[in-house]
Amino acid sequence: MDLRLTKTQNMFKRAAADFVKVEAPSHIVTEWFRNKATFLPDLYRKAANLGWLGMVVPERYGGASASFTDCAVVFEELGRVPLPGPLFSSGVLSALLVLEGASEAQKESLLPAICSGRSIVIVAITDKGVDWGTESVETRLTNTTGGFVLDGTKRFVYDAEGATSFICAARMENGGIALVLVNRESPGISITPHVGFMVSVAEVRFDRVKVAASSVLGEAGAGWQILDGALQKALPILCAYQVGACQEIFDFTAEYTRTRVVFGQPIGRFQRVQDHCVELSIHLDAARWVTYEALWKLDSGLPAAAGVHEAKAVASEAYYQVCNFSHMVHAGPGTDYGHPLMAHSLMAHTLYQYLGTPLHHKRKMMDALYPRGKG
Amino acid sequence: MDFNVQADTQEISVFRKEVREWLQENMRGAEGLRWSATWSTRENEEEYQFRRKLARELGEKGWLFPMFPVEYGGAGLTIDHQLVLETELDHSGINLAAVFYTLARIVAPVILKWGTEEQKREFLPPMLCGEVSVWQVLTEPQGGSDIATCHTKAIKNGNHYVVDGQKTMVGYHHPPDFLWTLVCTDPSGPRHENLSWLYIPGNSDGITIQPMSLMMGIKNTVFFDHVRVPAFNLVGGENNGWRVANTHLELEHGGEGRVGADPLVERVVAYCQQMRVAGAPLMEDTSIRDIIADMMIELHAVHLFARRNFWHRYVREPHPYGGAQFRYYQRMVRLRNGERLQQIMGCDALVPNLTVNEVVDFEYVVRSGPGMLHGGGTLDTDRLVFARRVGLGRPTKETAPTTI
Amino acid sequence: MDFSLSPDTPAIAAFRKEVQEWLQENMRGAEHLRWSGIWSTRENEEEYRFRRELARKLGEKGWLFPMFPVQYGGGGLTVDHQLVLETEIGRHGLNLNSVFYTLARLVAPAILKWGSEEQKREFLPPMLRGEVSVWQVLTEPQGGSDVATCRTKALRDGDHYVVNGQKIMVGYHHPPDFLWALVCTDPSGPRHENLSWLYIPGNSAGITIQPMHLMMGIKNSVFFDNVRVPAFNLVGGENNGWKVANTYLELEHGGGGNVTEDPLVVRLVRYCQRTQGDGKTLMEDQSIRDIIADTLIELDVVRLFALRNFWCRYVREPHPYGGVQYIYHQRVVRLRNAERLQRILGYDALVTDLSVHEQADFEYAVRSGPGWLHGGGTLDTDRLIFARRLGLGRPTGEAAPTTV
Ligand SMILES: Cc1cc2nc3c(=O)[nH]c(=O)nc-3n(C[C@H](O)[C@H](O)[C@H](O)COP(=O)(O)OP(=O)(O)OC[C@H]3O[C@@H](n4cnc5c(N)ncnc54)[C@H](O)[C@@H]3O)c2cc1C
Ligand SMILES: Cc1cc2nc3c(=O)[nH]c(=O)nc-3n(C[C@H](O)[C@H](O)[C@H](O)COP(=O)(O)OP(=O)(O)OC[C@H]3O[C@@H](n4cnc5c(N)ncnc54)[C@H](O)[C@@H]3O)c2cc1C
Repeated sequence: MDLRLTKTQNMFKRAAADFVKVEAPSHIVTEWFRNKATFLPDLYRKAANLGWLGMVVPERYGGASASFTDCAVVFEELGRVPLPGPLFSSGVLSALLVLEGASEAQKESLLPAICSGRSIVIVAITDKGVDWGTESVETRLTNTTGGFVLDGTKRFVYDAEGATSFICAARMENGGIALVLVNRESPGISITPHVGFMVSVAEVRFDRVKVAASSVLGEAGAGWQILDGALQKALPILCAYQVGACQEIFDFTAEYTRTRVVFGQPIGRFQRVQDHCVELSIHLDAARWVTYEALWKLDSGLPAAAGVHEAKAVASEAYYQVCNFSHMVHAGPGTDYGHPLMAHSLMAHTLYQYLGTPLHHKRKMMDALYPRGKG
Repeated sequence: MDFNVQADTQEISVFRKEVREWLQENMRGAEGLRWSATWSTRENEEEYQFRRKLARELGEKGWLFPMFPVEYGGAGLTIDHQLVLETELDHSGINLAAVFYTLARIVAPVILKWGTEEQKREFLPPMLCGEVSVWQVLTEPQGGSDIATCHTKAIKNGNHYVVDGQKTMVGYHHPPDFLWTLVCTDPSGPRHENLSWLYIPGNSDGITIQPMSLMMGIKNTVFFDHVRVPAFNLVGGENNGWRVANTHLELEHGGEGRVGADPLVERVVAYCQQMRVAGAPLMEDTSIRDIIADMMIELHAVHLFARRNFWHRYVREPHPYGGAQFRYYQRMVRLRNGERLQQIMGCDALVPNLTVNEVVDFEYVVRSGPGMLHGGGTLDTDRLVFARRVGLGRPTKETAPTTI
Repeated sequence: MDFSLSPDTPAIAAFRKEVQEWLQENMRGAEHLRWSGIWSTRENEEEYRFRRELARKLGEKGWLFPMFPVQYGGGGLTVDHQLVLETEIGRHGLNLNSVFYTLARLVAPAILKWGSEEQKREFLPPMLRGEVSVWQVLTEPQGGSDVATCRTKALRDGDHYVVNGQKIMVGYHHPPDFLWALVCTDPSGPRHENLSWLYIPGNSAGITIQPMHLMMGIKNSVFFDNVRVPAFNLVGGENNGWKVANTYLELEHGGGGNVTEDPLVVRLVRYCQRTQGDGKTLMEDQSIRDIIADTLIELDVVRLFALRNFWCRYVREPHPYGGVQYIYHQRVVRLRNAERLQRILGYDALVTDLSVHEQADFEYAVRSGPGWLHGGGTLDTDRLIFARRLGLGRPTGEAAPTTV
């Protein structure tokens, strides 16, 4: 047992912390979120130059062959901001998806571009808001001469705005699910941001979009298994991002209890305010340790499915509740869009849904541990 | 990071094998026993005798306190050995920290840290060898959570202290060999500077023990009536008791950590796999699965907090707020799990079951929700400690004391 | 006991019929409008005009404040009439308390209780007839929850007070006709004995209003720079403001009660009946039914608390702690419901839907969980008041003030 980060990981952590300090100071971040301007091409390029895209991708495809924990340490720092943009969705999730399911030729053409930031590849999975499973894939993929036609509307596509291509989950005529790579510039694609209490989420419409037969990722019909396989590895990185966010909120909330004075004393002397902080810390630390244990399992090649689903359930719930408890401590000023907490609140509500709610993942955890129909 | 508690080196795997074989040998005869919990409403003389014997046998090998120095009855081993012993005993359903009813696990480290050489040589070996039982005796009827307001007086008289007063809610259903007692040695002294710790032989004249039936079993009221205690038995210096208490309380308050996991979920799952309702096992019911998932996730987080605290303690970088956080959370989870059990198995959750170990007896778990909220301090005082350690509303943070 | 809101006597039945017909007539033209919440992120000029017009028409009949004396613009009616009006307007999706953006429901009772005859005759009729909008202006950047630490000064200068200072998080996105402001009239006076209330015309020279973008919509900072307010506009006596505040805050803190139902559950159920997920409607899903059941039960309890408070207010036996208990619980429930909506509806819970009334908009409901925790005091100050009223840790409980 050794619950410390390695030297290299501490270096990664410091580099990421230094980067966000310079590139994403709090007052600028609040403006991004207030204006919902969360795709920042310049920033994305800089992050790419630091090697944070495709960290877990093998070097021969342009990645860094880093461990999952290495990558998580970086994303934990990015979550503190919270740094928006498709660093996770393209640089981790899509990269892993390609790695997991694409043909060798597809890997060679896609991965280096994802890792360098030249391509931003975004997965578009569900056609529904509710439920996050195979049933939610309705967009159709129909055979035509020389290829396919893609038709349907993907809802709640996270980070759609910056995409140069989409990996779209589509229902084939035989009922199977295929993952199809589609260039964003293809005729028939339109993107409309969703309006509501969330960020970086848009509807992507595929209106009779033509795709080549060679655009199907890996084996047609195996789309969902490929996605599941990629999620198994990608989710804990997203969890680490949420852990970082929770840690940042904990830090600035504790600090606020020292500086905010009402009734003649710092509010941290009120037991009620302390109670909010206790609950906050429990969510934070539960998310932290469940996440890092899942990462350790992944890195050690141990069975990790249950742990990964658990981590997503705990971390998304934690981020959500940590925001709520911090709101209780900050009261009125914390609800002002000029306050850093609002960026986190928006992000927490969004990530609660992204790639499946806590309830969804709790059930997947149970299914991994105790398959149904086995008495 | 490495979460593995069984990543054995060559040397350690040899030790593990030794421990396993030893346990196989020495647990013989216990097959028919179902272990009682630390505080228990069960009464089983056979079990009690077995546990005391086991403790003595473990103690003889130094395995009760594996990391303590050999000269005091420990084994002088490393954290890795400690881990092996904890996990292997865990497999037998027993907890190294509470092989039988004694709080030596809290008292021994304090004496090791604060005792003089003579005191250590005298007091530690019997404790570390599992020969004596020790109670911790702090709480008073008036003071409650505020243990610094201590009315039990110990006044120096020649080579002795004379103790008078009353303590409440302490100990177990078996009598103590020693009472580790917080006393006031300077009734007119300022708060926090008038306390001391006495290691009082249980058979001293003037001690009366009166059992109290609490929700979780027997605790006692202890009356001290002119009890004469050798001055030698005052540990940590006269009127220095508050500082000594800090080491003590950090251990009691969860700072020691633990590596074993709560076996409750396994039993719940086994129950739900067997129990059929409307033709299908309960385990096929989505709502039941949802409830079990919540229980599991929360217990897992509790377990990881304990694991983290354990780690921090042994690398000697005490976690600033980990102890209080763990204890508070563990209790809240236990309280919620009490209700969850009733949701899952209905009235069955309220029936004691003597065929299983007490800690996985549903009725015990339901009861321990509210019943174990307050031992060693309440939810509220846990949160006070947390706030001080994080420095909420204060310019500086209180540091956690290093423990053993 | 009789929980029915409409077991009408013949007189009341006739009144109900009159109100129903009147509303049918006067709500014409509003069919396509979707009402905004009290604090709103929507902007709709047409709706705003309609609501102000409706308020004026209701006010003309004395129906905006049905139980207020006729001579001040009220209806001089009974609690039964008030109930009829509240429930009938509720059916049209509006709330009698906030037909448009004004806090007259809080300010009018305070002036009725504390104003001189001249003040009542001057200030009440425009307010009761729905002609003017009033903001409540208490919170300051430094003071926060501690409204008694009020730095906005109002110093007497001949027939006027001269006001200087800053308030925050007040008002709406439409400008106010009057500001009901807490001010300090004796900067060197003792705490709680140096406050007064001024009823300040919104168009006075020296007032600057700066919008703040909060989670629930626009609130404002108000700067007072040598604002001259006629001394006549000080209500309740100089330096007597703390006692006035008591009446006032009791209303804000839920002591008013209400009889309308939360439209959220109805919409939620309808939505779940229509929406397919996993091959069946959401309403067929056992675990979704469980979540809806929790939502339903909790909102029902909130509704019953409000009903109880309404009742206690109108029989003039104020409930000792009912107001804060209600406000606190309502907020906690709203926070839990926010997450429940996300669990049930997924991402759809986060999408603004302009085709329904804002109060039944899921996104609004999700946001108002955290966003509405603090208006008029926080969860923590609610609980402080609760403790005082019950006399927790004190020899006696504080009585709740009678309100109108
Ligand atoms: C199962 C069990 C085992 C125990 N074992 C032992 C033992 O081995 N040895 C021993 O000495 N004692 C033991 N105790 C006693 C235990 O330590 C006390 O119950 C505990 O310290 C609380 O004291 P009290 O019960 O008098 O509560 P009180 O102190 O009277 O507390 C009453 C209430 O006031 C709250 N409160 C008190 N102070 C504060 C504060 N400063 N801020 C906010 N809230 C506060 C408490 O949280 C509680 O809600 C045990 C108790 C139990 C239930
Ligand atoms: C949607 C909305 C609408 C509002 N509308 C109005 C309005 O119309 N008019 C108006 O005047 N104001 C209005 N306000 C302001 C509101 O009244 C204040 O936000 C509230 O009084 C709390 O003050 P604060 O936000 O400065 O929090 P602070 O007082 O700074 O509180 C910070 C933290 O300390 C805690 N705390 C403070 N004192 C104590 C104590 N004694 N014991 C325990 N804990 C304590 C709080 O609970 C909180 O957790 C509105 C606010 C919001 C969010």
